[in-house]
Parts: sequence; C-alpha cells; structure tokens
Amino acid sequence: MAEPNILDAGQLLDRLQRQAQTRRQFVGWGAGGLGAFFLNAAEAKTAPAGEALNFARDPSTPLSVLPPQFTPKVKRVIYLHMGGGPSPLELFDHKPVLTRFNGHDCPESFLKGKRFAFITGIPKMLGGQFPFHQAGKNGTWISDRLPHLERVIDDVCLIKSMRTDQFNHAPAQLLVQTGDQRTGHASLGSWVTYGLGTENQNLPGFIVLISNGGTTANAGKPLWGSGFLPSVYQGVPCRSAGEPVLYLGNPPGVSRSERREVLNAVDEINRHTYEEFGNPETVTRIAQYEMAFRMQLQASDAMDIRREPQAVLERYGAEPGKTSYANNCLVARRLAERGVRFIQLYHWGWDSHGTPTDEGLNVGLVKQCKETDQPTAALLADLKARGLLEDTLVVWGGEFGRTPMQDNHAGGEETKFIGRDHHPSAFTIWMAGGGVKTGMTYGETDDMGYEIVKDPVEVRDLHATMLYLLGFDSQKLSYTYQGLDQKLTGVKPARIVSQVLA
Amino acid sequence: MSALAYLGCVGLITALGVGLAMQLRPPFGHAVRQFVGLETEPRANTDSFYAVRVAPLLDSRCAGCHGARMQKAQLRLDSFAGLMRGSRHGAVIEPGRIKDSELFTRISLPASDDKAMPPSGKTPLTADEMTVIRLWIAAGASGVQRVVAGAPSPVREIKLPEVDPRAVQKQRAPLAAAVTRLQSRFPGVIDYESRSSANLEIHAALNGPAFGDAELAALLPLKDRIVWADFSGTAITDASASALAAMTSLRTLRLSNTKVTDTTIRALAPLKALRSITTAGTGAREVALAALRQRGLAVYGGGDAQ
Repeated sequence: MAEPNILDAGQLLDRLQRQAQTRRQFVGWGAGGLGAFFLNAAEAKTAPAGEALNFARDPSTPLSVLPPQFTPKVKRVIYLHMGGGPSPLELFDHKPVLTRFNGHDCPESFLKGKRFAFITGIPKMLGGQFPFHQAGKNGTWISDRLPHLERVIDDVCLIKSMRTDQFNHAPAQLLVQTGDQRTGHASLGSWVTYGLGTENQNLPGFIVLISNGGTTANAGKPLWGSGFLPSVYQGVPCRSAGEPVLYLGNPPGVSRSERREVLNAVDEINRHTYEEFGNPETVTRIAQYEMAFRMQLQASDAMDIRREPQAVLERYGAEPGKTSYANNCLVARRLAERGVRFIQLYHWGWDSHGTPTDEGLNVGLVKQCKETDQPTAALLADLKARGLLEDTLVVWGGEFGRTPMQDNHAGGEETKFIGRDHHPSAFTIWMAGGGVKTGMTYGETDDMGYEIVKDPVEVRDLHATMLYLLGFDSQKLSYTYQGLDQKLTGVKPARIVSQVLA
Repeated sequence: MSALAYLGCVGLITALGVGLAMQLRPPFGHAVRQFVGLETEPRANTDSFYAVRVAPLLDSRCAGCHGARMQKAQLRLDSFAGLMRGSRHGAVIEPGRIKDSELFTRISLPASDDKAMPPSGKTPLTADEMTVIRLWIAAGASGVQRVVAGAPSPVREIKLPEVDPRAVQKQRAPLAAAVTRLQSRFPGVIDYESRSSANLEIHAALNGPAFGDAELAALLPLKDRIVWADFSGTAITDASASALAAMTSLRTLRLSNTKVTDTTIRALAPLKALRSITTAGTGAREVALAALRQRGLAVYGGGDAQ
C-alpha cells in the first residue's frame, strides 16, 4: 500500500474505515462470539440478579436520573474543601497539655521513624494560638476563630480522628477527592453523578466553584476529573462573577436560533461518526453540546446572586461582581435548590507553614477564618430554613492536619515563623445534613494532638459513609476498567462509620 | 501372672494413660471430669452481658485461631466453657482480677510485642472492645450478670439490605403500567425512591408553572406509593388539597412558593406518615402550621412570622 499523501485524505479516510470494519469484524462486535468477552462496560450489562448494579443509560442522556441502590438519606452533596490543610489545633482540637509544652523541644518519640514535609532537626512544640471555649447544647469545644459556625455547631458532626497516609498536598488532595493518591481516578462528584445522574438536565450535574487561588489546585483539574469514568461526569468549573462558564454565550451577531442550526449540523456529523466507529464518547459529545445550549438559558440565572434580596447577601457576606467564597456559598445554595447533584467548593490558602508570615497561624489563618466562617454558617442556616438541609449532605474539610510542632524550615535554630507542618496522622472534618448525627464529636487525638487514640477514620471510610447516605453500598458502585471493578473506596475494606449516623 | 493381676496392670496403665492425657490435653481432662460428674460445664445465659457483648467480640476477633477450626495453645474462645477453662498453660480469665487475667494482658500488649493478641498482621482490638472485656472481667466474669456498669454502648452495625430484584418487580407490578404511562407524560417528574423499593418520588419543582392542579390530579393513581413530593414553584392551589390528602404514604412534602393556604395545610392532618413540610412563600399561616409542629413535624419556612 502506498504511503498516504496528504492530498489523498479521502482515500485515507476510506482505508481507516475499512481497517476499522475489519477489526470490528474480527473481534465480533456485532455478532457476539469472541467479542462478547470484550463487551465495553458502557454497554448494557445483563447482570445476574443481586449482583452488579447496572448504570447503563441512553448515551444521549448520560446524566439522566437513576435511583440509588437503597433508600437514601440525602439527595445531593455540597463539599467544602479547605485546600492546604486547615489546622485543627487552632479551630476544633483543644489541647491544654500541648499549650503547657509550648516552646519545649519535641520529644524524640514523636520524631522517630516519621517523615515530614518540611520540618528538619528537632522542632519546638507549639501550643494552640487561639483560646478555646465550649459552645452549643453539648459543650462542643471550638476556638474563638469561628464565631458564626459556633452558632450552628449543634447542626454539625465533628470528626476529629480523620487519618490519611499522604503528607503532601497533591497526593493528599487526590486521595480525599478521588479515593486514590495517583491521578487517573474518578472524583467524588463524578462517581455520584455516574451513580445517580442529576435532577436538572439543564445544568451540569457536578459543578465546581473555586475561590482564593486561581483555577488550579495543587493537584490540578484531576481533582474534579472523571478519571476512567466517561468524561461527561467530570466537574464543570463555574465562575461566580461574570459569565458562569466562559464562552457559554453566543458570539456577537449569532442569535440563539442560528446557534441551534449550527448545533443541528454538528449533531448530524457526529451521529454519522458514531454510526461508523461506535464510540459512545461521540454520543456523549453530542449530549454535551446540547447541555451547553440549554445552559445558556439556565446557568446565568442560577449563578446570578444579584437576584437575591439584600438581606440574604448580607447574611452570607456576598458581594456580587467579585469572586469570593461567600459568593460561592450562595451560588451553592441556589444550585442545590435547582437540582444540581454535586456542588464542590474549593477555598485555598490554609497551608499555614508560617512562611511567608501572611500564611502563618496568626495572620493567614485569621484571614481564612474571616473569609469562610460567616458564609459557611450562613449556608447551613439557609439550607435548613428552606428545608433542604434534611436531604443535603454538607462536608467541610481539608486534605490533612497540621503538626503540634512548630514548622522550622531552617531546622533547629530560633525560628520566627508561627506555623505548623503537614500532619497526615490526624485531622478534623465535619459533616452536616440528612442522616448525620448532629451536635456530636467523634474520635479523639492524644493530649498533644499528634496521634489518634480513639476511633480512627480513614478517607475511604468517609467515602463509604457518604455513599451510604446517598443510598449506595460502596462495593456496588463500581466501573470495570483495566480488568478491575474500580470503586471510589478502592480495594481495601472501607467501613461505614455508623457512630456518626442518626 | 494371674488374670486379676493382668487386669489390674491393664487398669493401672489405662488410668495412667488417661491421667497423662488429661494432663497434656486439658479439654480432654475437662471432658473426663464432666463425664465422671466431678464438674459441670460452665455455661452462660443467652441474655447475659457475656453472651450479648463479649461473645460476639471474641467470635469475630479470636475464634479464627481459638475456635472450632484451630485451637492454638489448646485455647477455645468460641464458648463460655472454653473461655473459662483456659489454655494449655492454665486459666486465661481470673474473675475480678484483671492483672492476673492472661487474656487481658495479651490483648493489652502493644502491637509490636511478640506475645500481643491478636498477633501482628491482624487488626488490634479497638479501645471500646478492650473496655468491654476489662469491665466484664472486673465485674466477676460472670455468665449470668446482665448489666456491667460503665460499659460503652455497642457500635451499631450497618447492615446493607440484600435485595431480590424479582421481589421488587412484584411489589412494583400493580402500578407499573400507570408509572410508565405517567413517566412518559411527565418526563423527569416521577422516579422510584430506590432500586429496591416500589415507593415513588414526585419532582415537579423543575416544571414550574407548567405543573398545576390538573397535572397533580393525574398522579392520583399512584397516590398510595408516593413518599416524597416536591411541588415548589408549581401552579398548584388549594384545589389540590384533597389529592394531597389522599397520598397516605407521604413522608416529605414541599409546597414552597405555591398558592396553597391553610386549607391545604389543614387537609394534611390525616397523613400519618408525614415527617417534614416546606411552606415558605405560601399563604399558610403560623396558626395552621402550629398544629403540624405539635405533631412533631419539621416545618420549614412557616407562616406570618416570616
């Protein structure tokens, strides 16, 4: 066969099509036989009764609603990820013993066999930088940095014994968001929209809102990526100021009906391509173009916080026209009302190493709390007042905790930084919403806030619990890829933390 | 040797053999003594603290190596008798004396210790599990006592339902045709609550003003199975009150931003399963909603006060 000439495009296409047909015939897509062994997981599986769940849908409506496996407690999730690792010792974990040891050299036993991100030599112990007190009906300990959350603390379930095995940002964020510290796995929101679809077909099912850090996290876009799941389940980052999605609107001079005609033509071409090559991603692409067309009408309205009364804007501390966590929280509530399944917020800047000082505990953390405390509490109260909290799951947390030792980048010498290093052994998150036992604290760390002494919760346990609240057995929400039934919770056993469930 | 002497020798050797066996294999020793009537098998009542809290713990954590399949150190922890009789080295439980109870000593050892139980590689007991055993031993290691003061409450096990799709199909069968028909008439509005349920949810909110009293009335064939319904922002009015009142399985009802008034609220009184209702932006007033609140319902966005 002659080398294809760029001018022989038609011949090239013809040859490719013939090759494709031959391969298809060999594997036997149409006729079964050997091909049956290699059935694409996206095609409908006839599973034996009681075994694998079938998530097959018409590829042109990939986000259509599927009922959960069993009766759920929640119908949607709002995940508030505090990027960088917020310090529990300055927010929730009250350690008076650690305060007594403030300034002392760190004992050898704490350092032996451990690997730190930045600490070198022998660091000093660092007591909590802010005073703690008890709040709420059950005397929950909380620092003075969260005066607004304090007022709704009885609606929250604190978990102080979260544990991870990753001590750096990117792998730790990936672990919390996708269940694995490597890239390539599907994020929480992708799994949830894959399993449940979304109620509002005119908005994406998985929306990402970012504040305080540009558009990329340490781990980048894979944090809301679909991994091995079909790409339609990836998160859609939206902006809370200006156009929600860039280039969603029509170019100047192009009316909506003209756009419709263009789309019809593009759909036609894509459909021909699908008939030739049978790639379900092509149909998904058609669906995404259609979704974008529908979003033109609904997305701007959904994300426009100017439509809210002034009283509501003040409660959140939201300022229309700017990008802020407060704006994102208000948008999150509006999206929850409009049937969006998974709303992921990111707020960066909690990495309180103390270098530079405005990332330190006494400056940076103060600013972080001021930016996030009021809107978070307002979101909880607002969801509750509208009756949405009882079937929404709200999760707040970072990717790891912070060491009870002072971060000393220079190692051993007198250090001016007031900060803590990354600490995977123990960190705090909280959950609120349907099915969650509120007004309680689960798990304990030791007197120094170093190791967990009671009820450790692995990240996969948290994921299993979240999926349970959504109506799924984490072992049954799976997708076959690379010869394995991939699951959010991975291959190690994951327990549902029944003690935090109502 | 005379016959008597012979028999005597045989008897003596047998007795020595049995005695040796009893010495070397304590379970055999206990069996013999039981047979002879020198001792009774320790038993625990089925409602005792041991049976309810301690036995399941030992079964799941210890019986793999100390049970029917394997009896390491000739210790059986899968029964009260085995537990109290101990191992080849003697008793593992000293009632009332934690320090002398070898079982507790072993499970309290740090995981790195060679003698720690469960052995390295197996999940160690949680703090709560150790507290249960410690308190039980301290209270006398009884097979009768029902309550041990201070014991932590048991961890609720989450049992995931095993679902038979055929049973679910049967449950759905009576209304299946009506559901299919109404789903095509109102796309996206009617969904099953879950894959393992015949109950239904109504999501009318996204239809907005296009969904009104007539549309709600069309859903009446499904009335017995509707457990969750969101009519927020739709065009329904008090004319739908009787239709709503007919949905006897309703647990959650959303009526925000509709034109319903107290008439509808009062009509909901007979709905025994109703747990939660949302009424912001309706004509409902606090007086009518108070009656629902008194029944223990969660009422969101109520009445005049807003």
